Amino acid sequence: MISLSDSPPASLPGHALDRPAVLAALRARIARLDRSGARPEGDSLPLCDAIDQRLPGGGLARAAVHEVLAADPGAAAGFCGLLLARARGTVLWIAAEPDAWPPGLARFGLSPADLVLVQAPRRQDALWAMEESLRCPGIAGALLAADGLDLTTARRLQLAAEAGGAIGLLLRPDGEAEAGATAALTRWRVGALAGTGGAHDLGDPRWSLELLRGRGVRPQRWDVVWRPAAERLDLDDAGSEVEPETEVEAMPVQARRRAR
Amino acid sequence: MRRRACGPPRLGQDSLLPATPEPDAGPAGEPAISRRIAALHLPWLPVERLCLTGFAAIWTTEGSRRALVAVSPAAAAAGLHPGQALADAQAILPELALHPHVPEADAAWLRRLAHWARCITPLPALDPPDGLLLDITGIAHLHGGEEALRRALVARFARAGVTVQAAIAGTADCAAGLARAGVGIVVPPGEAAIAVAPLPLQALRLPPASIAALHRLGLRRVGDLLRQPRGPLAKRFGLALLATLDAATGLRPRPLRPLRPPPDFLAARDFLEPVVTREAIDATLVVLLPELCRQLQEAGQGARRFLLHAFRVDGVVQLAVIGTGLPARDPRHIARLFREKLEGLEPGFGFERLALEARACAPLTAAQAALPGEGGASADTRRQSLAELLDRLTQRVEVWRLAPRASHWPERAIFRVGPFESVLPPPGWPGSGPRPVRLLRRPVRLSAVALLPDAPPSLLRLGRASWRVLRAEGPERIAPEWWRDRPGRPFRDYYRVQLVTGARLWVCRSGIAVPGEETQWWLHGRFE
Repeated sequence: MISLSDSPPASLPGHALDRPAVLAALRARIARLDRSGARPEGDSLPLCDAIDQRLPGGGLARAAVHEVLAADPGAAAGFCGLLLARARGTVLWIAAEPDAWPPGLARFGLSPADLVLVQAPRRQDALWAMEESLRCPGIAGALLAADGLDLTTARRLQLAAEAGGAIGLLLRPDGEAEAGATAALTRWRVGALAGTGGAHDLGDPRWSLELLRGRGVRPQRWDVVWRPAAERLDLDDAGSEVEPETEVEAMPVQARRRAR
Repeated sequence: MRRRACGPPRLGQDSLLPATPEPDAGPAGEPAISRRIAALHLPWLPVERLCLTGFAAIWTTEGSRRALVAVSPAAAAAGLHPGQALADAQAILPELALHPHVPEADAAWLRRLAHWARCITPLPALDPPDGLLLDITGIAHLHGGEEALRRALVARFARAGVTVQAAIAGTADCAAGLARAGVGIVVPPGEAAIAVAPLPLQALRLPPASIAALHRLGLRRVGDLLRQPRGPLAKRFGLALLATLDAATGLRPRPLRPLRPPPDFLAARDFLEPVVTREAIDATLVVLLPELCRQLQEAGQGARRFLLHAFRVDGVVQLAVIGTGLPARDPRHIARLFREKLEGLEPGFGFERLALEARACAPLTAAQAALPGEGGASADTRRQSLAELLDRLTQRVEVWRLAPRASHWPERAIFRVGPFESVLPPPGWPGSGPRPVRLLRRPVRLSAVALLPDAPPSLLRLGRASWRVLRAEGPERIAPEWWRDRPGRPFRDYYRVQLVTGARLWVCRSGIAVPGEETQWWLHGRFE
């Protein structure tokens, strides 16, 4: 039996008065129970400060599967490359036709020494390869580029990731899994935003990161910009030179849109 | 005088004496292990390969003459024999079924049988065109003595549908001569000379010209030949004849050339009842793998190739091979790799023996286990589990790493290496210029609208879709490598463009833009 003594009911803030707080505490406890392996706190990949504050655990959790819907294939590949690079270790890129290109991914800090490509033309082979990889404690991350994953498959992958400890990324085309349920911990939609430079200067890449669903988080959307020189992801401030401050990211997206 | 020179000489017995080998007495006086060879002769090899029954014969052309090479037992009983003219044979048996002679196929079948004979000894050798030589040194006791082994060999081949004549002796040529003559005996060590003496000269495969000449001299048996003084024999018939005689009597035995070197590590199981089911094969592997891995561990070795030989009752050897990237000896890991490969085995009427071999061995030290309090896997364990994962993946899908190369040409900037090779990006890599995160394996042909022939595109079209270009950076001209490319390959002008949707693409114009001609535009990659 799992002991609940670490947070006794008496410590819950306000018994019946503060329902949201009670619910949040209960949810946190369930989340702790739900994760099979007790991972130490902070075992997650940081994105950028503003987003990390919103995510439980301070970033994208390892030992879990995250879905990335590619509204723009390039931006989604960049986002995945960034996550894999920050996983720090050997990562696998599994696809029917793996087209990851190390010279470009190196800008995210992903060394070709860490990248292994797996070509699995058949779907079942690709899923098998992903599951085997996620179960392996020797890798830091694995990416599967596939479409049409059902709930059972995703659940299997999630369990495999919990067993192995690596981060799993499912790179899927956008539009197919709009309403579908998922067993992944979070689901993101990554799109590209037009840059802010001049006509002959593309500037730094800008993405729209949309957290569509996630366990214990509220769906939200951020516009971010990737600074290759500093290898840092920043909140985008719509072209002004001011660094994003807390009041910008603290506002809900709708409110920020209205404010513009 | 003349008769005395050719008649049975009294000196013969004296010259025979030193020919008798004494293999049991080594130089230090202790008994040395003498080789024991079983020779198998397959008199019906071409016929049995084709499973011919009834009146059938195999023929070939020798010059302008068409003659039989082999005949089926029924046809032989009717009076046909190899070497007979085809026309004669057809006159005797009009209903004779004729098949062309394919020596290559016969040789391949003999080789297959030799592989199958490895279920008896690890060292079989070929004795073309119709014989096998098995080194049975030290294995006779497993079958209850040499005579029992000889009978078991005959019975085993008979079960596979192959008639063999078997003989066992201390030298290969002696045993082979006996087998060819149809004398199925076991020659005790040291009595090879006595055993071959009554054989006809043909049994030793002497050249036909020599045999004819010896027959003219009245020498019809090997014993006649042995009694002759060696000097005149060598002078008249060459040293090859003496070499053959010495090999047969064991004075100077010829070495066997085994089909393949014996494995360093081997674990095998024989079955009384042939196994057919996958479960039985799996259960056998569960026994064999720990046995083999224990051998490897005791020797401090790991192997990179594991071969499972499955000997089928009908004389076929099937093979399941796995390879690992690093030397391995973990039974669990190897069993997982074999799981996929065992699908390919076809038991048919069943396997009578499964043998697991380890090859490509290399020293492998025992891995240090992580301390219990350390938490998490140690670096060694992680590396080990990664290697095992890559092994498993390579069994089923294609796995590679990409290594950088000093080339500006995008397709050549990286090249594939094996998953176990270490990739070391050189300092300063990937150099100047932003590069896409995805490179299309096949560039997509675009049509573009540009303000000027050599200006960046302002509109891109792919099929019916069209995108307006918001920004464009470039061009970056990449010239072909003249030392490698065919001459006249056009250079490329690469642009980084951003569409109104925000997508960033790597497009290129191939060659010089000539006014009035359509320029070729390609989509080659996607930026983040």
